[in-house]
Amino acid sequence: MKKYLALASGLLLLTLAFIGWMDSRRPTPIALTPTLTGQPEYCLTCHSDLPEISTSHPVKTFGCVICHGGERLALDANLAHSSMRGGVNPSDLSVVEASCGGSNCHSGDQAAGRDHIQRVMTSVQSTYAGAIANIRYTFGAQPDLKAYFGIATVTDEQTKTGITSLQAFDPSHESSPSIQKFGVNCLTCHLHAQPREGEAYARQTGCAACHATSKHTLSTAIPYTQCNACHNRGNYNLRTMTFEERADHPTTRLHDYYQPIAQFTQCEYTLDCVDCHTRTEAMGDGDIHVNQKSIEYAQCKTCHGTPTKLPRTQTLTDPNDIASTLAMLNPVTNLKLGDTILVTEKGEPLWNTRVLADGTYALIGKATRQYFTFRPVMGSGCTQSGEDQSSAYCHECHAVER
Amino acid sequence: MTQPSRRDFLKLLRDGFLWMSGALALGGLIRFLDFEPNPVPKTEFDLGPVEQFPLNSRTLFTDPPSIPIHTESGFSALSLVCTHLGCAVEQSADGFACPCHGSRFNVDGAVTHGPASKHLASLRIERTEENHLILHID
Repeated sequence: MKKYLALASGLLLLTLAFIGWMDSRRPTPIALTPTLTGQPEYCLTCHSDLPEISTSHPVKTFGCVICHGGERLALDANLAHSSMRGGVNPSDLSVVEASCGGSNCHSGDQAAGRDHIQRVMTSVQSTYAGAIANIRYTFGAQPDLKAYFGIATVTDEQTKTGITSLQAFDPSHESSPSIQKFGVNCLTCHLHAQPREGEAYARQTGCAACHATSKHTLSTAIPYTQCNACHNRGNYNLRTMTFEERADHPTTRLHDYYQPIAQFTQCEYTLDCVDCHTRTEAMGDGDIHVNQKSIEYAQCKTCHGTPTKLPRTQTLTDPNDIASTLAMLNPVTNLKLGDTILVTEKGEPLWNTRVLADGTYALIGKATRQYFTFRPVMGSGCTQSGEDQSSAYCHECHAVER
Repeated sequence: MTQPSRRDFLKLLRDGFLWMSGALALGGLIRFLDFEPNPVPKTEFDLGPVEQFPLNSRTLFTDPPSIPIHTESGFSALSLVCTHLGCAVEQSADGFACPCHGSRFNVDGAVTHGPASKHLASLRIERTEENHLILHID
């Protein structure tokens, strides 16, 4: 009996020692109490190696949980991650309101420019309304090219385009096999789409699709490669109604664009997309648009003007001007009151430009910080009619060989 | 000296194991009870002796983000936590600027540029009998 008692006590000691050893292998808890929430969280215990996600979202202020969700006090990885929003992408539009919303953040007042989520939700990059309408019209499912469906249901009660809502497109309700195949094969890469399986696609929806320029980095300095993740990912095969993803990894920007017939001038393959295309074009203006053409408008004349008209400009006089805020968020240039910049035909500031003293212009790359100078068309040898100044006309003379 | 019997040896072994188990378990229990997962944030900070804050001085602190001010009317303090979302503001040529979203405040903490809409908070500051300044951030 004594022998068994000694054995049992030895086993008890071994068990306790093993538990102690296992416990000692766990990382020391690192608590962080973000200023914004005032509630301790232990995410840094395992994630202290992550870089700051952006200068606008420092971890000491925001912490992790306010954006990502999760169990803030848990030290077990599975438990800690169990209630995270959107997996690795809390900006997925299915959860974005809880992650990035709030009136002080990205779903606030339109006048204060804080309605980012509402704008993105209704933008063509989310709804894909134009393509859905075109395909349904082509195969006889609707009588016109009006937008009736989007990838998800959206409403716009203060519409300026006349479109107050879109219903969620459900290809299983379509009778045409082509439309059904389109629905299954071609709706995976828009901001409101269900992302495809796999880590590579996890951040290709919501805000992250454009702003997550690398792992755990949010930026407004968006390089063209970020846009290419969707816009140079492959091409539609309209015969089979499938999306053919390209298998190569493009390296030559000019020659490897997915559409061989596309034409480019030098600035179109030298600058980044965001150097010319504005945030309203990319993120929407809050209205539901019938197609991409209805919202995307930056063309050569936006910066170069026409033979008869100089581009629009604006001299900064108001420190609260949106141009100053945008320049502060991506400080590639020291924008000051009194500087004159180009603005689009709709009045959006091209804050990374300057009107120079000699009447020419400068542009600083938002992602590259490269400095470019360029001239207006007015006063040049261009003989193109001032009335026909869409980019297609400019490509006639200025496109390069591909 | 007599050789311990096998029975005594087993008893000694058993007792030794049980004592060590008890010590291990007690250590674990103390460690468990000692861990405070949800600590109450500190609200009082000893900024040091009053002599470190001469008349007409403005001394920047990063923890907690604050600026004690010593004028002829006494001591006061401004919080350097931006009233927009809580980032620590930085000193600028004309006051304070928030590096996160661009809010700006003048030297007295009044908002001069949004998105913040409230002035920087005034903090309670007191002088102890030992001539130390205590800052309260609650």
